[in-house]
Amino acid sequence: MLADLIESLAKIVFIFTVNVGVFAPILGWVERKQSAVMQDRIGANRADILGFTAIGLFHSLADALKLLTKEDFVPANANKFFHTLAPFIALVPAIAAFAIIPFGGRYELFGHEINLVIADLDVGILYVFALAGLATYGTVLAGWSSRSNWSLLGGLRASAQMLSYEVAMGFSIIGIIIVYGSLRLTDIGAMQEDFFRWGIFLQPVGFIIYMTCAIAENKRIPFDIPEAESELVAGYFTEYSGMKFVMFWMAEFLEMVTISAIVTTLFFGAWHIPFVTDAMLLSWFQFAGPNGAAALAMLVNIVVFFTKVSFFIWLQMTIRWTLPRFRYDQVMRMCWKMLLPLSLINLSITGLVVLLL
Amino acid sequence: MSTTTGLGQTPYSVQVGIPAATLKAKRVRRRLDLTLWERLYVAEIVRGLVVTSKHFFINMIGFIFPPAGKKRKVFTVYYPEEKLELPPAYRGRPVLVADADGTEKCVACGLCEKMCPAHAISIVAAEKAPGERYPARYTLDLGRCVYCGYCEEVCPTEAIVMSDEYQGLAQRDRNRLRFEKEQLLRPEAKVKTRLYYVRRIYSKWNY
Repeated sequence: MLADLIESLAKIVFIFTVNVGVFAPILGWVERKQSAVMQDRIGANRADILGFTAIGLFHSLADALKLLTKEDFVPANANKFFHTLAPFIALVPAIAAFAIIPFGGRYELFGHEINLVIADLDVGILYVFALAGLATYGTVLAGWSSRSNWSLLGGLRASAQMLSYEVAMGFSIIGIIIVYGSLRLTDIGAMQEDFFRWGIFLQPVGFIIYMTCAIAENKRIPFDIPEAESELVAGYFTEYSGMKFVMFWMAEFLEMVTISAIVTTLFFGAWHIPFVTDAMLLSWFQFAGPNGAAALAMLVNIVVFFTKVSFFIWLQMTIRWTLPRFRYDQVMRMCWKMLLPLSLINLSITGLVVLLL
Repeated sequence: MSTTTGLGQTPYSVQVGIPAATLKAKRVRRRLDLTLWERLYVAEIVRGLVVTSKHFFINMIGFIFPPAGKKRKVFTVYYPEEKLELPPAYRGRPVLVADADGTEKCVACGLCEKMCPAHAISIVAAEKAPGERYPARYTLDLGRCVYCGYCEEVCPTEAIVMSDEYQGLAQRDRNRLRFEKEQLLRPEAKVKTRLYYVRRIYSKWNY
């Protein structure tokens, strides 16, 4: 009982540290620096501590200090309660979605079985969709409670866009669920031990649709119409400052990490190296004794998983700095007239093939 | 006829940016009726991603292993630490040219004062010896100056030229932009390339 508690706590602390402590600040730096390198620039490199700049990493620190000391401003006539609540509703699902994502296999350590996932839920992927639905409230509340035209327009656009894309996103995942026959993400991850059973080979169309819808859910370019700078100032979070602004900003980055993690788990072999099974890893690390082998295999699993996640974060950043923004009617047309029919066709073909085989 | 200065005709060469010879014109395809493959959009997105990630990887390699003789592949100049070598055609702050003995070449003829479209120059003339004029005061208001270079064009003694100085031109007080003769005097060696350039473009060889 106590061992279970310690195990859960350790995993929660680990994931929280990786997400909030490492990914959120680093991604701000990555976004600046990667865009600079892609556009033949140098990027932020001026913030320094005693003349040591660490290729611009201290800009995240400077940002954090600046935003922490800024005035927490609530506009006149704004609904103060909901204005304060909205960033929390936006941020919490982004962090909480990581609870069901497996970042490693199942290992025996000191006679205690360790499953490298915080919560191994039966409903699995449905939990992610539930939280994605909840995240919509954060955006809409922020837009509505600010008492600003720009915020309200941003909130309206966000609600329509996020609800529409949730439909296509749900259908794109059902293909994967049919193929693997399970909603549980640990099962889906374990079944991708064989390289040729990775989701990308079984559901290539599903991957493209999911990736598109996920970026649209996260409201990043090319689907950043709810926060379009050139039209709506900053969209639904125009009236936010200080820490509340940081929470929206962190929610965006953490959602990006979550999307990458889900894509890795569903389509790119979760924690597996191609052609290497967990049993093979254990046999390779036999020299360290049974417990040491399990620990090393776990470490390899985690490193592989987060390497894949980093690659998909890089891909999302590259997409964000490559494509221009869609017009609002184009966003809607793309969802209802292209992605939804495509995902339905993909679903029926998958169902037919699974039935015939 | 001889030139007024003993500079000789040393050629100069200053290069900024990419030489024009190495730039290649690219053909732009202006066909607006898209094929089905292009309208599917996914392939075109991948093509765009390939272009941007090509830049990304080439620049990353350029940062880690800089090309021979350079610090990096990206052209950006770290401004306060590194400075561009400006071409002689650059018109910075106008300065007065000093003679070998440190006095100004200016003879206070007043042509630049007359020519200046922004009335930035004001001269108080005086005489050193009978028939030998010099500016007792030469005031240049850089808050008014439009950097047109007419003063330099009209000057008969090559006493005022546009230098390549561009720093210190932003002040909190307008009075600090009013420069006196002593602040404007520069030794001739400092503005040599500009003098040579001015002679060439304004055909001042025979002065």
